[in-house]
Amino acid sequence: MSLFRNFAIGLRSLFRKNQVDRELDEELGTYLEMEAAEKMRQGVSRKDALREVRLERGSLEVAKELVRSGGWEFFVETCWQDLHYSVRMLRKSPGFTAVAVLTLALGIGANTTIFSVMNATLLRTLPFPNPDSLVLVWETFGKGPNNINIVSAPNFWDFKRQSQSFEDMAIFDSAGRGYNLSATGNNQEPEQVSGLRVSAGFFSVLGVKPLLGRTFLPEEELPGKDHEVVLSYRLWERGYGGDPQLLGRTIKIDGEDFTVVGVMPREFHWQFWSKARQLWVPVGYNKTDYGRDENSFIAIARLKAGVTVAQARTEMETIAGRLVQHYPTEDAGMGATVTPLPEFEMGSLKTAMTALMGAVGFVLLIACANVANLLLARGAARQKEFAIRRALGAPGFRVVRQLLTESLLLGVLGGAAALPLTAWGNGLLFHFFQLDNLNLPLREIESVAIDGRVFGFTLVVCLLAGVLFGLAPAINTLRGKVNEPLKEGGRGSTEGGRSRLRNALVASEVALALVLLCGAGLMIESMARLLGVDPGLNPKNVLTMQMSVPQEELYNGPPGLPRFCQDLESHVGAVPGIASVGAVAHLPFEGDAGRGFQIEGQPPAEPGHLPGAGYSVACPNYFRTMGIPLLKGREFTHQDTLGSAGVIVINETMAHTFWPKEDPVGRAIRLGDSNGAHLTVVGVVGDVRYRGLDEPVRRQFFRPYTQAGWPVMGIVVRTIGTPSAFTVPIKKALAEVLPDRPVSQVEIMEEIVRNSTGSRRFPMLLLSGFALLALVLAAVGIAGVANYSVAQRTQEIGIRVALGARSNDVLRLVLRGSMNWVLLGILLGIAASIGVTRLLSGLLYGVRPTDPAVLGAVSVLLTGVALLASYIPARRAMRVDPMIALRYE
Amino acid sequence: MPDKPSDLVQGTLDMIILKTLALEPMHGYGISVRIEQMSKGVFCLNAGSLFLAIQRLERDGLIDGEWKPTESNRRARYYTLTAKGRKRLDSETREWGRQVAAIGRILETS
Repeated sequence: MSLFRNFAIGLRSLFRKNQVDRELDEELGTYLEMEAAEKMRQGVSRKDALREVRLERGSLEVAKELVRSGGWEFFVETCWQDLHYSVRMLRKSPGFTAVAVLTLALGIGANTTIFSVMNATLLRTLPFPNPDSLVLVWETFGKGPNNINIVSAPNFWDFKRQSQSFEDMAIFDSAGRGYNLSATGNNQEPEQVSGLRVSAGFFSVLGVKPLLGRTFLPEEELPGKDHEVVLSYRLWERGYGGDPQLLGRTIKIDGEDFTVVGVMPREFHWQFWSKARQLWVPVGYNKTDYGRDENSFIAIARLKAGVTVAQARTEMETIAGRLVQHYPTEDAGMGATVTPLPEFEMGSLKTAMTALMGAVGFVLLIACANVANLLLARGAARQKEFAIRRALGAPGFRVVRQLLTESLLLGVLGGAAALPLTAWGNGLLFHFFQLDNLNLPLREIESVAIDGRVFGFTLVVCLLAGVLFGLAPAINTLRGKVNEPLKEGGRGSTEGGRSRLRNALVASEVALALVLLCGAGLMIESMARLLGVDPGLNPKNVLTMQMSVPQEELYNGPPGLPRFCQDLESHVGAVPGIASVGAVAHLPFEGDAGRGFQIEGQPPAEPGHLPGAGYSVACPNYFRTMGIPLLKGREFTHQDTLGSAGVIVINETMAHTFWPKEDPVGRAIRLGDSNGAHLTVVGVVGDVRYRGLDEPVRRQFFRPYTQAGWPVMGIVVRTIGTPSAFTVPIKKALAEVLPDRPVSQVEIMEEIVRNSTGSRRFPMLLLSGFALLALVLAAVGIAGVANYSVAQRTQEIGIRVALGARSNDVLRLVLRGSMNWVLLGILLGIAASIGVTRLLSGLLYGVRPTDPAVLGAVSVLLTGVALLASYIPARRAMRVDPMIALRYE
Repeated sequence: MPDKPSDLVQGTLDMIILKTLALEPMHGYGISVRIEQMSKGVFCLNAGSLFLAIQRLERDGLIDGEWKPTESNRRARYYTLTAKGRKRLDSETREWGRQVAAIGRILETS
């Protein structure tokens, strides 16, 4: 109650100031009069009484002040006054204000840009209801950090049946594939889209309801009943014109009829380890899927309310143990584990983002140090003003408060100027770095925008920055006696402590800049090393494209089109300008599958512990087309057919691993699956970096397509001249080989190699940009402080020159003063780098975080820049005329 | 006549003003005179602390002020005790009594 009253009376004081003032005057006036009357009654003469009263009036003014400052509105009023005053002071020195605001805009802008990116990616929760209860369930083998494995359908069925921790559980194909859509409503050509087999519960585990129609029923999981399809919104709109009548109609996929039962909402996005899926079909368990050791699926589940991930994990481990006992052959050595879906999604992006966030934090600190230095210099010039105010009775904290208001105002101005900078930066990041291609599995980055959260972040940052750079200079003004600056000829301040603070700021700026430059240098070096890695093939003038080939038993059976390789060579090879053509199941840099086997002539291994290697299928001439060197033996030929002996070609790593001391050609393996095919090694080829330039080479072996099929082959063509010019004739030739089979993903091999480093390029370029910004800011700071110090020491320099110092001596004097602190900063920076860059090691390749070459190069660079920055003010010092200097005040 | 007027702690000043107004409503000067009289000259208020205290009491809702003409036909603000003020006065007086008794007991045991 009294709070409201207090508020109301205070408001009146604020807005009816004059009237309230008059009332107070009147009340006090009456008080005085009555006092005078009283005195006169006591016998004091009228004259004396009035005189005494007039003396009282002085203390009455004090009384008025006391009463006025008693209310809360006084604080508001003084804050408003401070703000007014600050605006005036900033307008009086436009140069200072401009430089300070620009510096802050750069520093704050960098921070808000990175935050915007974080906001659009990391900070956004998954677009599913209750995303924290979504988990992935894996099989595990052995111990060690990377021991998770995708699951097999029979194991999944047992997991689901036996576990209590989950509301529901579902699986989806770990690889998916391209599905050929025949010419549809809007498309006149057949096209291939990425699709996925899913179990019936898939969508309900995620908690997503279709926009139209329904998702799959449990009975539709079995082959024969599984020709239903759910379309993505994008495919429905683009390919079928968004026609709601499409529900219930059939479309042709891979030459077969599928009924459209549902359409997913626009926001639903699924690109787990793949491109964005456009359609989903029921899992349709086939013969291979029934194998308990045929791991092809990823299991996803939703935890029951109240169950933790740890509890679920323990339960799964127990269930796995039971399965191992029941099925000692297929499930040997198996375990199980559970990982939360949100964490799994973000992985490497988090490291890069955290590093960048730290980097821009450093840039902001450097910017704040610069502005603090500017404020210190300005504060020194305003000493007289402060002295007068304090002499007139302003309490110290009031002066400090006003200066802080100025700093906060500068901060807010800097933040306001940072917003357009941020908008520009966001657009730049989004397009230049193709953030929409970041391939986050479960969401699409529509844009990087400035929304409420970013705005709030900007506000907080600029206020904090204002306090950070404003506090020290503000408190500094309280130092020193009040009467010193008011004396004639007084320099205005005690220099000692102030200049030490300035120099300390310079040293810290240098240290921070050094750490950033080291980080950038390390990443640049990583990139250089990465690009220097030999991929193992010759990507020049090579064109690739994907094509699905008919195949009954998807990943294991005999080739669905035995003449495929021959037809490829005769049709595509006939196109003028083609040097050679081949095909392979897995193109380099796009991952591969694995197989286990027994090695002949070596002691048999335990089931579940079979030696394994990456597995692929290739046409003859593949290796030659791709430029992979043949080291021993021969490539596949057209004579390697189903009728002749089974052969394989292995890579060098596999040769060294299994036959280190002998020639592997002529040796044989026996595949570990139900086939048990006996395969002889006929050739050894050079290693190719199949998983990425920075991943270690895996063992690999290839079977000829003519002996083992594969449903999707990557066609590889080496051309004479620019590959892209041959796209059309090659496509035509392929249409002759396989009519009504669309070709997809036409890419130039050189680009594939280049893009494989893409995920590193983004943080590297950004970090380098920020390091450069930090360097520039630090240089400006050093120059500013050196310049100021020269101005302060003009008298001293004049004396020295008058006493015989030469210009070189003056130069050395100034440089030494400046460089001492710079070198201190460099030493501090090196020490800090050694500690901090360790955090970057996840992003580095082939470089130690404490690489001395990088540290050395960066230190030299920084010293050079600092020297240059100090040299320009030093030249000014050299030109000091002693006569003028001695008269300088 | 005492040499110097003693200084009053802020809380006690409030209490004394409330007590003064409990007897009858009056204006600022009247309060000051009455306090001086009742304390037999021990407490001599200056205008500043008095009006500061009055402002505080008014904002807290313990007293109400009203403009009225004085004898000499000038205007002054006359203050009255509110119900809340009366309650506060009672509780403060009781509290004060307890404190005084306690201090007295401490000082007696020597």
